[in-house]
Parts: sequence; C-alpha cells; structure tokens
Amino acid sequence: MLRLARRFSRYEIAGESMLPTLRPGDWVIVDRRAWADHEPREGEIALARDPRDPRRTLVKRIRAREPNGDLWLLGDNARRSTDSRTLGAFQPESLLGSVRWRYWPPPLGEPEPGPGEATAGRA
Amino acid sequence: MHLLSTLLRPRRLAEAHCDGPCGIYDPASARIAAEAVLSMAQKIVALGDADDAATNNTRSRFTAIKEEQAELAKRELNILWTDYFNPERTANHPDLWQTFWNAAKLCSRNKTELSVEAGEELLATIEEIHNVFWATKGRDDVPFYLAV
Repeated sequence: MLRLARRFSRYEIAGESMLPTLRPGDWVIVDRRAWADHEPREGEIALARDPRDPRRTLVKRIRAREPNGDLWLLGDNARRSTDSRTLGAFQPESLLGSVRWRYWPPPLGEPEPGPGEATAGRA
Repeated sequence: MHLLSTLLRPRRLAEAHCDGPCGIYDPASARIAAEAVLSMAQKIVALGDADDAATNNTRSRFTAIKEEQAELAKRELNILWTDYFNPERTANHPDLWQTFWNAAKLCSRNKTELSVEAGEELLATIEEIHNVFWATKGRDDVPFYLAV
C-alpha cells in the first residue's frame, strides 16, 4: 500500500492548454514510475517541471523525442498553450510522471488520445 | 459526499497553462516610456519662458513627445496588468490594483500637466511594479535601472 502511495499521486488540473483531453478542475492519478520500464513515448501525457520556475508543475503531451532523448511537449489546445514552442525541449529528468487516469469527474477512464497523434510533430 | 471529496481532493496542481501568445512581459517598456516623459518635462522647464519662434517650436516638439510617451507608458502598464497579472499572481499583493491605478493616473497627469515631480512619481510607481513583477517570477536578480 505504501509502495502504491509512493508510486501514484493525485493532481488537480489547472488551465486550459490540455483541452479537450483534460479540463480545468479535473482530478487525475499520476504514475511517478511510468518510465521505469520504458522510455517516454509520443502520445503520453507528462507532468514536467517548469524550466522557468521549478516549483511549478506543468502538464503537457509528449509529441516528439529528439535524438539526444530530450522531449518536445505540447498542449493539446495549441492555441492556448505555453509549451516547447516557447520553452524548448524538456530534459527527461524534468519529467515527474505520466497522467494515468482521471478519477473526477466521472466517468472514470484513461485520458483520450490527443488530436492529430498520427501527424505528431513540431507545430 | 463532502467527506469523500475532501479525502479525494488532490493537494498538488498540474498546470495546463498558457502565458498568452508570446509570454514575454517586462515592466522595462513602461519604465523607458516614463523616463522619456520625465526627460521631456525637465527639458521643457529648462527652456524657460522664452517666446521666440525657435523656442516655441522646440517646446511644442517636447510637449508632443511627452504626451505620446505618457500615453505609451499607460498602454504598457495596462498590458502588464490585464495580460500578465491574474488572481494567482496578485494573491500575495492585494494592493497591486491600487499601484497600477495610481500609475495610470500619473500617466494622465504627466500628459496634461508640466510637472517634473509627476514624472518622478510615475517612475517610482513603476519601480514598485517592477519589484512585484519580478517577485512573482521568483527572481531577485533583476535590478531597476535608469537609462539616464
């Protein structure tokens, strides 16, 4: 039980840059060991430390992996998102975990795949 | 239900945030305009009361620049207040609205009056805003400096 508590944390979503996938006020479960057994993949929703203010946690979607392993993170709602387009690529160490489930409001479920994943790439 | 939501409520925030189109804000642009206002007021005062055509021409030009820069300072302050600041960033600075309000009024006063003192007051108010602005970004390494 304690191990599970260490692995999973609850977060509240603020802001609109992950609409329509995540809405402000959504409560989600974050898996902090998501990348213990695999490299971060395109399409996963990542929590990352804000490079400008490490006390702040951002939630964005992984849209590309660069050859050096750095990650290109974008909001699903590109028009209302400050992300890698402004902040540059994120180092894998700045990732805190992956959003696994939304548990409030119901219905429960995995976050849906983002728009345009087939054509994922730099905006 | 209330108990349940208290138990389930997350204690951490993940921000799906947006800074606006470019996210680049800096009170420096208001400071530069305010410095121009003050400089023009000082130059107009230095011209004295001479009434020849050349001095009148210079005075008119200085006055036009003073008014234009006061207007610009007001616009730059307004952008900071409405686009950068939000409830979260003003939470620790409940009186900030008053500071911005004073600054905007001072811009108007500098535009309509000839007052070196009003120019100095405007700069001092922008310095207060500068301090709060960089505090919201957790930065204490940005000095308030003047071009003059």
